[in-house]
Amino acid sequence: MSSPFTALLQSLIRHRGVTGCMVVGEGDGMIVDSSLQIGVNGDAFAALTASLYRKARRAAAAAGFGETGFFELDADGGRMCAAGRNDLVIVVIAEPRVNVGLLRVEMLQALESFA
Amino acid sequence: MKLSVAENWVEAPLKQFVDEARVQLAVLLNPSGQVLGQFGFASSVDVMTACALAAATTASSGELGRLVDGRPFAGLHYAGKVRQIFLGQVPMGAGTLILLTVFDEESSLGLVQVFFAELCVALAGVVQPDAPTTPALAEDFERELNRNLSVMFGRS
Amino acid sequence: MSDDIRALSETLAADPSSVVFVQLGEALRRSGQVELAWRVATRGLDRHAQRADAHDLVARIAIDRGDFPRARDEWESVLTLSPGHGGAQKGLGFLCFQQGDLDEAARYLGAALADDPGDQSLAAALDTVRASHPDRRPIEEAPTVPAPVLDARTLFHDVLGDAPQTAILLDADGYVVAGEYLTADGRDLGADIGAQLSGVSDEANRAMRHLGLGRWHQIVFEAETASVAMAPSGGGVLLVAAPRSVPLGYVRRLLERSLDRVRRWMGRGT
Repeated sequence: MSSPFTALLQSLIRHRGVTGCMVVGEGDGMIVDSSLQIGVNGDAFAALTASLYRKARRAAAAAGFGETGFFELDADGGRMCAAGRNDLVIVVIAEPRVNVGLLRVEMLQALESFA
Repeated sequence: MKLSVAENWVEAPLKQFVDEARVQLAVLLNPSGQVLGQFGFASSVDVMTACALAAATTASSGELGRLVDGRPFAGLHYAGKVRQIFLGQVPMGAGTLILLTVFDEESSLGLVQVFFAELCVALAGVVQPDAPTTPALAEDFERELNRNLSVMFGRS
Repeated sequence: MSDDIRALSETLAADPSSVVFVQLGEALRRSGQVELAWRVATRGLDRHAQRADAHDLVARIAIDRGDFPRARDEWESVLTLSPGHGGAQKGLGFLCFQQGDLDEAARYLGAALADDPGDQSLAAALDTVRASHPDRRPIEEAPTVPAPVLDARTLFHDVLGDAPQTAILLDADGYVVAGEYLTADGRDLGADIGAQLSGVSDEANRAMRHLGLGRWHQIVFEAETASVAMAPSGGGVLLVAAPRSVPLGYVRRLLERSLDRVRRWMGRGT
């Protein structure tokens, strides 16, 4: 079964080093659609990354920096990227070696269709 | 806000849930409506009311699920304008416990579900096998209910 | 307005003599509403002048407002009412350090640490003070190590240069330890910006506890007018913000250089 996000997710998951990608509700942290490698805990990544993105977005707005677009967290064991608009967040989970610059461009382009 | 428990074995898992999910209220009870632990309630009357409603809602939604889907609903969620309610069943051997929790925009349904799943695993790991499934005898029920509330609100 | 703040406000409105103003003032301060927190706290203090926690709250908000003399007065009142109060000793230690009185800073922080030996932020602060003390600096110290910066606000000036980017070091409680965020009219919004953004690191820490990715070491995000980079540092968090015109890769480099600056300042040399 396909959704409006299937093509986007299929494109993101093809990047070298990407282990999962999802479209998540920012407010509820629930997965709208996803493409995940086996073993990736999609529910936990969705809920926690959406919450983190929402916190960053609100903090940036409260600090007077305006709306937040792209977000990235680097950790010892991998990277989480997020970009959101209109209560939807694209979440990408990746290994440390992933080319983040490429992902960022594609995620920001995809956001245009969320408008 | 203070967490209080009537049964010590629920304290650590319930505290972990409350801290990580950042909910406003939480109460863990058995299907008879007896409270095992609570966080965020101001009075024993509030806990008693919440437990009675949670137990009744779980029982009726279970029957409704059987009618509609052939099996009881596993959890219920209601989203209000500001606050949301999640009501879930914790499998415990042959029986279940019930978690009722209230949260706002500091948390989310996804977070509550993730940490609820962790709560279920944690409780399964620490509970005495016969502790949650022991039915409350009708003649002891009210006394047990009041004992649990007294323990938690310091009037034992 | 969060539910907590709303509920506390309603409680205080219903009973203006309630001591709930302490919780409300702290909640407002943490949410960045410093002036409102100040009004609530000072009015509460008028009614409850004998409460040490009320003086402590006013002191902490005074720090956020840059009113160091008032903060000092309030914390000294706390110590009169509650000798050995850890928060007041820590605050006075911080103030003395800011003003270059390293002996007094070490005395206050040492006393606070003796009361609470497990407080890592106190231990780190005391190390910083001792490392900055001219009498205690090892003679063989490498000459390339920068001179101690007594005005912590200028810690990142040489790293950032004259460009409009900024860096702030926050402790675990969201207090500004070093750096500043100056507006075009010269106001320092470091405490406000820091209070807003420090919560992001709490969220990151929670996510790391549950996602099996190890420790996080950098967060970068792009907002409409600024790019923000942050990293854990000395028990708190280091923030770097730059206009969107600055390339994201360069913001990351600034963060790394600022982290290095903090490490050397703290004397940890990793």
